[in-house]
Amino acid sequence: MSSNVKPTETLDVRGEVCPYPDVKTQKKLKKMKSGEILEVLLDYPLSAERIPRSVEKLGHEVLKTEKTGTGEWRILIKIK
Amino acid sequence: MENTNKNKVEKGQDLIETSLMASGLIVGVIFGFVLQRGRFCMNSAFRDIILMKEYTLLKAVALAIVVQMIGFHLLATMGYIQLYPKTLYWGAMIIGGFIFGIGMVLAAGCASGTTYRVGEGMMGSFVALLGLMIGGLITSGGALIDLKLYLQPAEGALKAITTENPGPLVGNANVTLANVFDLDPWIFVAIIAIIILAVLIWKRGGEETKPEGTAYEKIFKKGWNWWVTGIAIGIIGIIAFIAYKEYALGISGGWFAFLNALITGKPDKLNWFAFLVIGVVIGAAISAVIAGEFKLRAPDARRLLQQFIGGLLMGIGAVIGTACNIGHILSGIPQLALSSMLGGLFIVLGCWVTAYIMFMRG
Repeated sequence: MSSNVKPTETLDVRGEVCPYPDVKTQKKLKKMKSGEILEVLLDYPLSAERIPRSVEKLGHEVLKTEKTGTGEWRILIKIK
Repeated sequence: MENTNKNKVEKGQDLIETSLMASGLIVGVIFGFVLQRGRFCMNSAFRDIILMKEYTLLKAVALAIVVQMIGFHLLATMGYIQLYPKTLYWGAMIIGGFIFGIGMVLAAGCASGTTYRVGEGMMGSFVALLGLMIGGLITSGGALIDLKLYLQPAEGALKAITTENPGPLVGNANVTLANVFDLDPWIFVAIIAIIILAVLIWKRGGEETKPEGTAYEKIFKKGWNWWVTGIAIGIIGIIAFIAYKEYALGISGGWFAFLNALITGKPDKLNWFAFLVIGVVIGAAISAVIAGEFKLRAPDARRLLQQFIGGLLMGIGAVIGTACNIGHILSGIPQLALSSMLGGLFIVLGCWVTAYIMFMRG
């Protein structure tokens, strides 16, 4: 289901260091509307595990966390 | 005759020296592997408390401290090692710790976090590491040496109450939580361990990532649960103390020795910690490659500059405060060293003030 979900917006934080992927994701989420889908592209392993945890705590739905390549991840978040 | 004996003794010394350095490298490789699997970074651990209300890495740090505290005191009680709490200089611990704490937020990683991320291929951490080494040498033997000497006056060091008997387990006269009150260290070990373990059990669940898959995937492909990381790092610290005898783990001192040996061309500047940190990079690289997480990557120029300055501050702070986060928080606090408790506290405060200014205002 989630593999063919169309993201409303994409946030590319590849190359960014701790904690910018997380901080930028949270800032972006605040600006988006309920039901919209944010796609986050990142290459920082700690954030690939921490972002899903922290956005779920904020009440958003993590549709998918997938490893897209060597050291790269894609996270799909549905805004609450 | 005398000469050959002397040669034999020297060869014997060399062999001991070589095996000691080899042990540093081996412990380093294992440490690096665990750091990368556990994403173990104290900058994240402390910063995330205020920034994201995230406690996962903090739990790993706390558990590693408990494991080591019990392990070190068991070994010392059995007579295998003596504890070596660092010298307590009030001003140096406060100022050095605070500078280090500021530096690690800017550098996007503490000394150990920066080191293992070099093994993951993060060039920003590599730049921070260069800053750390330069900052350290500037402060230990360069332009800032007067500041260091001013903050670490020999007469200003606080010693144990009875310097002849600093406590049964302690090898020098530096103050610990136990010998400053002239009490059995096990009292404090028991109290601290019970409090930390009680909080960890009470606050259990909810935050850990739950890795799925086969045992191989859980170990080599996924990030570890905090408690696995915490116990593993605690055990590595204990092994380090057995191997090196005079201290447990440390990161920044190893890098200072490494650059010092390169600059002066004197291999005898290399110490146990220098082999340890090289091992950490190798171990983290092995772990990252197996997990498919190794990638050469860099942030933009502005961030690289920020990380370099952060590294520089970490190097300066580590020399003034006599240790980095690993030497103080991971290795010193489990020895109940008052110096490391004070240094560690100010590392955390420096981290929080900087994280607040950088990420939380407005």
